[in-house]
Formats: sequence, C-alpha cells, structure tokens
Amino acid sequence: MFSILKKSLKTGVVTGQYPKAEASQEPISPEAAQNTKPFRRSLAIREVDTGSCNACEMEMNALANPVYDVERFGVHIVASPRHADALVVTGPVTVNMERALKDVYKQTPDPKIVIALGDCAINCGIFKGSYAVTGPVERHIPVDVRIPGCPPRPGEILKALSELRDAQRRSGD
Amino acid sequence: MADAQTAITLLKEAYAASIVEMTSINGTPRLQVKKDAVPQITQFLHTHPKLRGALSLLWVVDHRPRETRYEICYLFTLSEHHEWLLLCTDLHGEDRLFPSITPHIHAAKWYEREIRDMFGLIPIGHPDMRRLVRHEHWPKGSHPLKKDFRWDTILERVQGQHVFRHIEGEGVFEVAVGPIHAGIIEPGHFRFSVAGEPIMQLELHHFWKHRGVEKLFERQQLTEAVPLAERVSGDTTVGHSLAYCQAVETLMQIKVPRRACYLRSFFLELERLYNHIGDVGAICTDVAYSLPHAHCGRLKEQIMQLNDRLTGSRFLRGVNCVGGVGTDVTNEQLAKATVELDGLEPDFTDLEKIAFANSTLKDRVETTGVLSNSIAWDHGVMGVVGRASGIDRDIRRDHPFAAYDELSPKVVLYRYGDVRARMRVRIDEIHESLRLIREIRQHIPLGPIVAQPTGKPASGTWALSAVEGWRGEILYMVMAGENGGIHRCKVRDPSFVNWPAIQYAVLGNIVPDFPVINKSFNMSYAGNDL
Repeated sequence: MFSILKKSLKTGVVTGQYPKAEASQEPISPEAAQNTKPFRRSLAIREVDTGSCNACEMEMNALANPVYDVERFGVHIVASPRHADALVVTGPVTVNMERALKDVYKQTPDPKIVIALGDCAINCGIFKGSYAVTGPVERHIPVDVRIPGCPPRPGEILKALSELRDAQRRSGD
Repeated sequence: MADAQTAITLLKEAYAASIVEMTSINGTPRLQVKKDAVPQITQFLHTHPKLRGALSLLWVVDHRPRETRYEICYLFTLSEHHEWLLLCTDLHGEDRLFPSITPHIHAAKWYEREIRDMFGLIPIGHPDMRRLVRHEHWPKGSHPLKKDFRWDTILERVQGQHVFRHIEGEGVFEVAVGPIHAGIIEPGHFRFSVAGEPIMQLELHHFWKHRGVEKLFERQQLTEAVPLAERVSGDTTVGHSLAYCQAVETLMQIKVPRRACYLRSFFLELERLYNHIGDVGAICTDVAYSLPHAHCGRLKEQIMQLNDRLTGSRFLRGVNCVGGVGTDVTNEQLAKATVELDGLEPDFTDLEKIAFANSTLKDRVETTGVLSNSIAWDHGVMGVVGRASGIDRDIRRDHPFAAYDELSPKVVLYRYGDVRARMRVRIDEIHESLRLIREIRQHIPLGPIVAQPTGKPASGTWALSAVEGWRGEILYMVMAGENGGIHRCKVRDPSFVNWPAIQYAVLGNIVPDFPVINKSFNMSYAGNDL
C-alpha cells in the first residue's frame, strides 16, 4: 500500500502535459452546434470502428489516460450504443461492417450526433475506391462533426470536442 | 535436427519422382513439386524428427495475363537452424482444385480458406469449407485477388448467414459477442457455447475489417507503396513498413546504409516498447486493477510524445522508405531519447512490483487461458504468444535483419502458456528493448540514411522478407509487375496465425476471464483482416 502511495506522490500530476493543438481545420457547422444543444456541456460517447487500421482507436483510448483525461471535460465513454449521446465512427465503412454501422445508428436513441474521426471516416483515406470499402461514413449516416487526421492526435480530438462545446453554447440561447 | 540441405537430401531420397525442379531464390532453396504429392511431402517435412518443419506462409500467385497458371507456394521453417525451405506447385489452365494439407498441418487451415475466398481455388480435404474473408452476403464467384476482378468493383449483396458449430445439451447456451464490443476496440465476433460459466467452445468470426489491402498493393508502384503498408495495422506501422521495404530492397538489390539499419532497429524497438507497456497496463485493468493501467497509460503517452518529437508522428509514420529511412535522428537527439527512456525503466520496474504484489491480480492471471506447447506447435503459433508457450522463435535472432546481425537480442521464453506467462514475456521484452536501444545508441555509425533505388526489377521476380514486429513474425512476399509496379504482395501479420489459437486457450475457463485472455493475446483485427 505504501509503495503505491509513494509512487503516486512521486509521479505527481501529469494531466495536461501534452503539446497544445491548433484550431481544427473543419469548423463546427451551425447545424452541428444546434444538434448538440440538448447535451449542454457533457457528452456520452460510443465508439464504432467500421474498418480502421486501429490507430484512431489507440488515440481514442489515449483520451482516457491520465495525461489527457477526457472525463474532466464531461465526456464519458460508454459501453453500449443505447447509453450514447454521440457516436464516434472511425474507418472507411467496409462491406462487412456496413450493416453493423446502420444497426448501431438505429439503436442509438435520439437525440444523437455523429462524429467522424480520422481521414478514413471522412473520405476513406488511402482505401478510397477499394472493392471492400463502401465509402465514407456520411454515405450511410448523417455526420455532424469531422475530425481530420491520420490519426488525429488526442490533443486535436480534445480541441475539436471543446470547440463543439463552445459552439453549442454560443448558438441561440 | 538438421538444416535445409539435409532436408533436400531426405526429400530427394523419399520423393524423387515428385520433385520437378530445384532452384534457389535469394538464398532460399526452392523445390517445384507435383500437385498431388504436396500433402505427403509437407507431412514428411512437418513430422520427420530430424526436420520438424513449421509452416510459415502459404500463398497463391495468379500469373495471368502473362501465363495462365496459379502458383501455390509453401514456406517452411526447419526447427533446428530456423532455415527456410520453399515448396511450389502449379495449377495450369482450368484446374481449380488443390489438395489440402490442413488435416496434417493445422497451421494451414485459415490460409487455405483465405485462398478459396480470394482466388476461388478449392482445397480438397479441408475440414472446414465455410467462407472466411468474404462474409455470406458477398455474391458467389466474386474472388477479389483474381486478375480479372477489378479493384474498384461495386459488389452486390446476397442473402446469407454464417453457420456456427452448435453444441446441444441441457443447460448449454450460446453467447454472441461483437462485432461491436463494449470497449474502444476493433470489430470481431466471438460465439461462445457455455454451460453455466465454463466455456465449452469458442468460435471466431472475423474479417469485418477487410479493406482489400492486397488488391490495393497491386495498383501501386514498388517504391511508393510504403504508406499503404504502414496502414495495414496502425499500431505496427514500423513492423509492416520495414517488412515491405526489405522485400523491395531484396528485389531491387539495394544495399541499405548501416546508419539506416540502426535507425530502423531503433524505431522498431520504440514501437515494441510503447505497445508492450500499453498491453501490460491493459491486462491489469482487465482483472480490475486499474492503477497500473493508469501508470502504464502515462508511460506509453511519454513514449508516444517522444516519437512525435523525434519523427513528427506518434505512430512513427513516414520513417521507413525504400532504401533506408526518411527522417534522420541526430546523435544528440538519440542521446536525449536514451536518457529519457533510462529514466522510464525504474518507473516501470516499480509498477511491475506493485502489480505482482497484488494477490487478486496474481490469482486471476496464473493458470488462466493456458495454451499448451503442443497446441501452439501444431497451429504454428508464434511471437509473444508462442514464446510464452515455449515456442522458441524470434526473427531478430533467426533471420537477422536491419542491425540485428550486430546487436544480439535475448529471446524471452516461458513454458506455462498462461496469461501470467504472456505478461512476463512482455515485461521481459520491455527491459530487453530498453537495453537494445542503449546498445544502438552506443554503436550507431555515421553516414547516409538512404540509398536511392535505381532501375526496375524484371517482371515476375519476387522476394520474401521477415521482421519481428512486436506481436510476432511479419512476413511479406512482394512480386514485381510490369514497369516497376507490383504484381502480387502477400501480407501476413502474426495475428492471422495466432487468432485461431485463442479458441483453444479459453476452453475450460470462465466467461468473465475471456477479456483478460483476449487482451493477453492482443491480436490485431486489422492486421488479420487486411
């Protein structure tokens, strides 16, 4: 027990020790801000992988580590689409995952928003045109927010989420 | 125990009538044999006590339009000196059948089903003829890797359901998990048959992430396909791109400068480090001890930020290129990085002690998910999972590449094959990687970092390359096409071979132990599915 306490005291606080990201290249549209209004400043996120190379998933997993700690912004990663406010979709939608993506979208209760994470989800990236890929996420389900990058750094994902929060707070009222 | 020459002598004695031709490709002996003799010859190689050949790779090349034949190649690794031996056979004209070697060599089971899905060649005698890569809603006759199938075909959908093996009995029910799992992880389907808590049978149904990588390779030029290789499996960027670059360099006969070799080993060890640290933390959190997971997350983040500072990419993308490395790391930067990693080592050793001081963790990881040595050998299991079950294979020692002919990595071997063994293999490899990085920093020479590729290789020539990625052995076969393009690129991530082994490791364990067993294997879904 003491060794654990000693280690925690020696390590100190590491939250926030990451290089600051610049403003996102895909600004939040007014419709996206409007759709996010019901959630105020918090978001329950369900991540759906439709065929990515796994780098975007690792960056999303990094959001939960002590350095980025996304929960301090009110963002919570949930285990089931039924508990989710937002679906974060990665990967170019492959032929095998197309049905699963549509099912998850139907199962997520309204109101909901969809965030396309990574170049593959936005425009299929390097897999564009392949027989096994059915096109970017917006071909199948409406997308509200886009976070580009291959993969986007966790700092950039946090910046996009905070811009989303600011945009929904500014819109209307 | 013997080497390739002895194997060839023994084969010539026993099967002289079936051997058509004997050549050698880049130093690997190659035997052309008659199609019908393949099962006996492969069984001979696998079971002969002196040879104990393990199947490393099985692939098909569609030689059209140049010649109307399909060539099936089997790559064996002979146990004693880890030498390679190639067997090749041809299917001419309209022939679509080939004899299956799966009944004797179980490691071939997924390879042959993949060949059937991708090429339409039927393995006669294979015990499991269900579809593997193309799920049941793909139309019949759509075999993507055939040369007359366009890379950008828009596929129709047909009705179809995957048939799982059932266990009937009182109290037996099926639990279906996936493709979308509860955590942030890739899609894959697991079908359990349970009687109460203990798992009676697990069946995998993967390939949800099939993106057509091998077909996309055929559209690229040899020197430009590195970004595609990097994105086969995102967390094994350096492993895959290095394997691809090495195959092309052997093909184009480029000699990579020594400094580039050392830098490649450095990046490979960095990749091994950050992934193993993340895995150790994840195994701890799967047994509900989240403190080491938080600390490992912090350490992994430290290494990934180091990657970003050194190369501009957290995943080390863009470092490998054909002929060498794309980004130089100055000796001062290397020294600073080594100092930082040296500071990380005692931090991690403390964590080891904290993790193994916890009796709950020890209770849950010991004797859980045992993969015995005999099953691991039969199914060709390799890499971290193999070394935890006593399979002594490490490409860094057996077929040294990059700078590993001068560095001598110590190969970690455990025998029990449970989750604890797999965890300990990772922990020991972390310490070994840190030691190798210190050695690289001491011995790295100055000099150029890239040798420009010149000329184009003749169409039809091919080369193999093997790299010990952090999960295990990554094998690439690259065949040159017309005008510097690629005719065929066979990609094999170690996950493709190790995934089926988890079906055996979970038997008898309880369902709540499945996440920790799966995490201790930590196979790539994307690298498997391609």
